[in-house]
Amino acid sequence: MRATNSKIVSAWDTRRIRKNHRLERAASYVRSGVFESGDAVAVLESILEPGDRVCVEGNNQKQADFLSRALASVDPERVRDLHLLISVLGRPEHIELFERGIASQVDFSFSGPQSLRLAQQVADGRVRIGAIHTYLELFARYFVDLTPDIALVAADEADASGNLYTGANTEETPTIVEATAFRNGVVIAQVNRIVDRVTRVDVPGDWVDLVVVADRPYEIEPLFTRDPEQIDDVQILMAMMVVRGIYERHRVRTLNHGIGFDTAAIELILPTYGERLGLRGEICTNWVLNPHPTLIPAIESGWVQSVHSFGGELGMERYVAARPDVFFTGRDGSLRSNRALSQNAGMYATDLFIGSTLQMDVDANSSTATLGRIAGFGGAPNLGSDPRGRRHPSQSWLEMTSEVPEIRRGRKIVVQLVQTFRESGVPTFVERLDAVELGRTAGFPITPVMIYGDDVTHVVTEEGIAYLYKARDVDERRAALAAIAGVTPVGLLADGTRTRELRRDGVVAFPEDLGVVRGEAKRSLLAARSMRDLVTWSGGLYEPPKRFRSW
Amino acid sequence: MTPHIGDSYAERNARERAQALLDPGTFREVLGPFARLRSPYLAAQGVAAQSDDGVVVARGTLGGERACVLATDGRFLGGAIGEIGGAKIAASLELARRDAERGTPTRVVLAFDSGGIRLQEANLGLLAIAEICDAVVALRAHQPVVAVIAGRVGVYGGMSIVTALCNEVIVTEGARIGLNGPDVVETEAGADEFDASNRPLVWKATGGRRRFAQGHATALVADDMPDIRAAVEEAFARNRSFVAIAHPDFPDPALEREAFLRAYGVTP
Amino acid sequence: MIETLTFTYPASARVARRAHVGVVASGNCELLLEPSPEPCASVTVRTSVGGYATTWEAVLARFFARHSIAVRLEIDDFGATPAVVAMRLEQALEQAR
Repeated sequence: MRATNSKIVSAWDTRRIRKNHRLERAASYVRSGVFESGDAVAVLESILEPGDRVCVEGNNQKQADFLSRALASVDPERVRDLHLLISVLGRPEHIELFERGIASQVDFSFSGPQSLRLAQQVADGRVRIGAIHTYLELFARYFVDLTPDIALVAADEADASGNLYTGANTEETPTIVEATAFRNGVVIAQVNRIVDRVTRVDVPGDWVDLVVVADRPYEIEPLFTRDPEQIDDVQILMAMMVVRGIYERHRVRTLNHGIGFDTAAIELILPTYGERLGLRGEICTNWVLNPHPTLIPAIESGWVQSVHSFGGELGMERYVAARPDVFFTGRDGSLRSNRALSQNAGMYATDLFIGSTLQMDVDANSSTATLGRIAGFGGAPNLGSDPRGRRHPSQSWLEMTSEVPEIRRGRKIVVQLVQTFRESGVPTFVERLDAVELGRTAGFPITPVMIYGDDVTHVVTEEGIAYLYKARDVDERRAALAAIAGVTPVGLLADGTRTRELRRDGVVAFPEDLGVVRGEAKRSLLAARSMRDLVTWSGGLYEPPKRFRSW
Repeated sequence: MTPHIGDSYAERNARERAQALLDPGTFREVLGPFARLRSPYLAAQGVAAQSDDGVVVARGTLGGERACVLATDGRFLGGAIGEIGGAKIAASLELARRDAERGTPTRVVLAFDSGGIRLQEANLGLLAIAEICDAVVALRAHQPVVAVIAGRVGVYGGMSIVTALCNEVIVTEGARIGLNGPDVVETEAGADEFDASNRPLVWKATGGRRRFAQGHATALVADDMPDIRAAVEEAFARNRSFVAIAHPDFPDPALEREAFLRAYGVTP
Repeated sequence: MIETLTFTYPASARVARRAHVGVVASGNCELLLEPSPEPCASVTVRTSVGGYATTWEAVLARFFARHSIAVRLEIDDFGATPAVVAMRLEQALEQAR
């Protein structure tokens, strides 16, 4: 056998040899593993080869923006047809890579701000999309069939040995570096500064090949901050229904909240409404969540035992550092986040996911896709799905399977929280998702559905809750959804008699069925009604970013 | 531990603010929503009108004395002043002056939250502001006029001028007082000169803390109803020995300019 | 332009007093509700967002089907969603009772 093989495979270390060649070509710019920011373009031109798989760290929070700008400035005669791997195509220069022919293929997860331009590049044939992933599956593929040749990452500090400190925003850095470094790819890190001794080792130095001090600190966005001032009474009414009709009823202890004012409203009524219901310690104790400032009052009131985070949140650094019993922190005191592990935790170890969406069809399939844009998925499809590999039980998980069949199993609670109409009179509930048409015209092999209807257990609107998991068949499921879909085309199909039966059977609940008093849905129920209140709750530890300050 | 979260003034609407400023149970609205005094100019411009034209005229007592609170609704067209709302304010001030002349004074509190003149009613808004300024100056000859600037809009344009004419101006740190709004300044001077999206800069230049330090406000209080009410009481108490002046006396313009520049830290 | 819509629903129950709720702010609306001697609910909607007559009809029909109250109702609207309108209607009723 060995003899036969040796005829086919003549060498077993071609990747290592190739890596050494790459580093040798850049050696003249490098001193002790460090190159000057002014040489970044030249270094990339020396190291990169046409067709390389290049992973650029860039998600919806932290961006290796110095390196991505340098990459967009390379000579397309020397570096072309790269295969870009990136979580979030969020910056203008990411699209420039396609415009200039530097990259011609991309695998990604989300493209929010650049979704229109990306669609245009695809239409013009400048870039081919491999697939649009969830974060977790994109990370997974880095270890299987999309292992990067080069990784461009961002960190706060590096020391002489190349150890990296990423501060509160470790996010996906260790995952990308691990996939690249251990299969002989080249890891290049941009850092805000080089220090004698890093504050904490988030990525060991022997996984890192080259370091450059960026021209300015890496870009980071406070994406998870919601100003309580903008929460309205309708959102508070829905929050009350969620607390009574779902969290209290199913005793939900472990959970993840999507981002939005609706879920911020829930966080802010726990210390008031939830407290009055005597639910502290009974629900919402263990979270997988970024450090949302709107969670501060619940934490301070003793509701929260633990929070594991995907990333950090600007302004929350001092607060998090002062609450090490709650947050995951390093010896230095600051938050240690990890996107891949937190996504995994959210998928397998939480009993509930709750989030919002733009469109929902009669079967509760939902999507945020709109025509002419390629926005992608992020983490919601993983968090908002029933992980069939789960085997550990909990009360809430078991409650989702109503009958007791011979083979007992449980199910994750997946809640969609939507108002029947969005602003400007657009109905949320539709006969057919825009995603169907989008997928067809864009030639996607799959329809870009964010959360599949058969994974959804509850839908909450301002009208009430549909307990879809209780529905006996598809027909009853659709009737339950119609009953809370208001005056949308879907809701107008609801039949009054049927709705009364569904309420009697507990498949649908209106606020009055849950003991929720509409008149109580007032902003005065919010534990904090302004950013200033959040600062007060935090004892001055929370420092809101500029754009959120009215003082 | 639940920290002390203030009983917020900014959180209230104009009607609730007037109610909270007056002695409990004494609030009575004049020309309220059911008077249906809507602006006749807005519909033609495709803008929805409000039944009180964004101004609440509230009567009652304050510290046991007859009082009138004039509150503008910052949520309706940014609290901007049109013909009707302006007339409600000017006429109320005028009535207060007459009360003072008859020896039955009415305390007046201006609870403004307003971007200034309503663009849709341009000249009528300008005229209204002029009338309000006149009326404040005339009333000042008899009694102190107190302004509470503690809403989410603040006061800009003509309404900042009206505020500046008041004897007492009570602000919170969230308040803003400025002649031109941040966006106007940015448009005129460029984003390099003044970046209107830089909120700390906007508040540093026009916020309540700044205005108090400059002497443009006479009291800086927390956004907490008991504190604001106490500040209003104090403002009237401070002016108890108010000496009525027969005629509004404006200082020498040169002196005023000097005082203005000094307030801004510029040596004349 | 402002679109004016009128609707009438048969009604019998009386309310105790008039009610004023809401504000003419973006995404919101103002309601004036008064008891009416007529055996019906008569509604006038003035909205700066045109083209949603059927949605208004559906929201109001649902409300007056649930609460058969003889009232005069005026709504000044600046693009409120049906959720906001429904909530304002409930609040007005609460005040008027």
